[in-house]
Amino acid sequence: MIDNSPEFRIKKAIGTTVMLLLVTFAALPTLWALLLAFRAPDAVFEPIWESPLKLTFDNFFNITRSDFPKALMNSFITAGLSTVFAMLVGVPAGFALAKSRVSGKFIASWILLLLRMAPPVGFVIPLFLLYVNAGLIDTYAGLVFAYMTLTLPLVTWSMWNSFSQVPDELIEAAIMDDASLTKAFLLIALPAARPGAVAAAILAFLVAWNDFFYSLIITRSDTTTAPVAVMNFISFDSVDWASIAVASIALTLPILPLMAIANRYIVQSLSGAVKG
Amino acid sequence: MKHLCTTALVASFAMAAPFAPTAADAEEINVVMFGMPYTNGLRKLADDFEAETGIKANIDVIGQDVFENRITLSFTGGTGDIDVVHAPVIQVQRWVAANWLKPITAEVAAMAVKDDILKGPLDAYKINGEQYAVPFMAATGLMTYRQDVLEAAGVGVPETWAEMLEIAPQVTNDDRAAIALRAVPGQGFNMFIFPMIMRAYGGKFFADYTGGDLTPAINSPETLEALKVYIELINDYAPQGAGNFNFAEVNAAAQNGQVVFTVEGTGVVTQIVDPEKSKFADVTGIALPPGGPAGRSPAIAVHGLAIPSSAENPEASARFIEWAVSPETMTKIALAEPFSNFTTGSVAQNAEVIAKYDAVHPDFLRMQGEALNLAIGHYRPLLPDWPSLGAAIGENINAAVNGLMSPEDALAAAEQEMKDILGQ
Repeated sequence: MIDNSPEFRIKKAIGTTVMLLLVTFAALPTLWALLLAFRAPDAVFEPIWESPLKLTFDNFFNITRSDFPKALMNSFITAGLSTVFAMLVGVPAGFALAKSRVSGKFIASWILLLLRMAPPVGFVIPLFLLYVNAGLIDTYAGLVFAYMTLTLPLVTWSMWNSFSQVPDELIEAAIMDDASLTKAFLLIALPAARPGAVAAAILAFLVAWNDFFYSLIITRSDTTTAPVAVMNFISFDSVDWASIAVASIALTLPILPLMAIANRYIVQSLSGAVKG
Repeated sequence: MKHLCTTALVASFAMAAPFAPTAADAEEINVVMFGMPYTNGLRKLADDFEAETGIKANIDVIGQDVFENRITLSFTGGTGDIDVVHAPVIQVQRWVAANWLKPITAEVAAMAVKDDILKGPLDAYKINGEQYAVPFMAATGLMTYRQDVLEAAGVGVPETWAEMLEIAPQVTNDDRAAIALRAVPGQGFNMFIFPMIMRAYGGKFFADYTGGDLTPAINSPETLEALKVYIELINDYAPQGAGNFNFAEVNAAAQNGQVVFTVEGTGVVTQIVDPEKSKFADVTGIALPPGGPAGRSPAIAVHGLAIPSSAENPEASARFIEWAVSPETMTKIALAEPFSNFTTGSVAQNAEVIAKYDAVHPDFLRMQGEALNLAIGHYRPLLPDWPSLGAAIGENINAAVNGLMSPEDALAAAEQEMKDILGQ
């Protein structure tokens, strides 16, 4: 029954207003960056109502002449590769942890959680020293493996959960029908856990895509990623706010479709893709 | 399952293998610098260095915060991945105390360019008789003012901070404030500006810095008077929010005509008088920063190039430094970039360079030269602890500006924190 009482309507109006205010507050930095990206350099600090038409696309052209596009490509390469490798290792690992009857799974779960919870600074200094000696500073390989310390535990942990929801009977039935374990994994378990796998891949990509700290420490000019390259617009005696805004938008845009896809699959994976 | 995992791991390593680096070339050096006109210009000339010497220079120009993180990790780890490093004079004392830099006295003595380098900035890198870096830039403090506004108000250019306080209300209106100054805390932010006022009033950081008495002396009547002037200017005659302005906001306020005066580093001043960036460039004048009862003390910031202790090819590093500060390289950068702070003296005699900067503003090079002559090398004390001291003093000064504590309490707290940092 729908409540149409004045009291309910007032409560609803207050709730909606508060919600809209909160959403506006949360969206303000993004809106500000969007506005700044189109502002002429001499109008960056002017209130928009004083010169609403001082808009330009020059900021976008200017950024293409900087090192930022290369950094954006580096972000795609390293986040993409670290996600692929994390999936190649983490998905089978998650399956093994979910379905094998071995002792020590409890310890494995704690190690995985520890890796997820440990701050990056705990890894990055040993990694840095190791990389200097191994010649891996400022290489894609170095950054990709560094990112795997973030993405692999994430993928393994979430796939462990996803495969746990796949009924054992499905896999046992496949094996009884002469399927090998690999076939049972690839043809039965993996399709059943697909929403979880897609969500894990997207989350892993986002973790690597947004990383600042690893890139800050172990990259140089050749492999610097976009989040670090944004900082290069702040120099000793000038701050290029318009380029920072354009760069922030460029960093956010590729994430939007991923978030839309991830949202669907995360809900599916949390609600249980396979009903027992 | 075991096979599957093993296969995945092997496959991942195999796919990554093509990205592994090749062995480092012996005649290749890594140079790390932070962004400014000189460093941007130098990076563009890296091929010239390779053509002249056969040594490949990988010049990385990055944001200052990124720079601080990278070099600290590299130096503390002694990794040897940096061969030449950008060395702000204000940091060098600390780096030398930590044994992070290699003394280059002999290398500098052998450089053909050594007699062409300005003596003051070069000597600023001399510690305990050893040379630790070669300067490429010496920025100083200058005042900019709106000639049209001063003429309309019938007032002259203030010679002292007291005169500035008298003129400020006469040039302020609803749309325009009198002055913008850096106020955000930091040894390179408000502590680049405030000492100009403090020293003009006779204030000082230590009882007798040059005599070796490093007893903190910032809590003095002279510094208190200076702080009250600084607070009054920012709170009463600067734009809204000026209590946390940094150089970017000061620059923007001047370029957009929101203020009449600024006192800034020459790197920012060149942007304020640049017609391509500033709406009021053609009516902006340049003068020395105001003085006070104790005279005039323009700020100074020197930047140079140094060789880390862990550098593996110091000969190549020294050749790079000599090339980077040579008159030929400096002249190219001065002509290609907005870079007027060169420390190689003969560049200032180059007719093209003079013509370029005279076109930007006819008084600029002359005023810069006068300010550099007035500036004292230890404008900010050249001590290993200065970064910590400057940060502590800057926090308290900023707190006073923003009304979080009284000027008296701020100076008392700053002096106490100085003593704590110095272990006194």
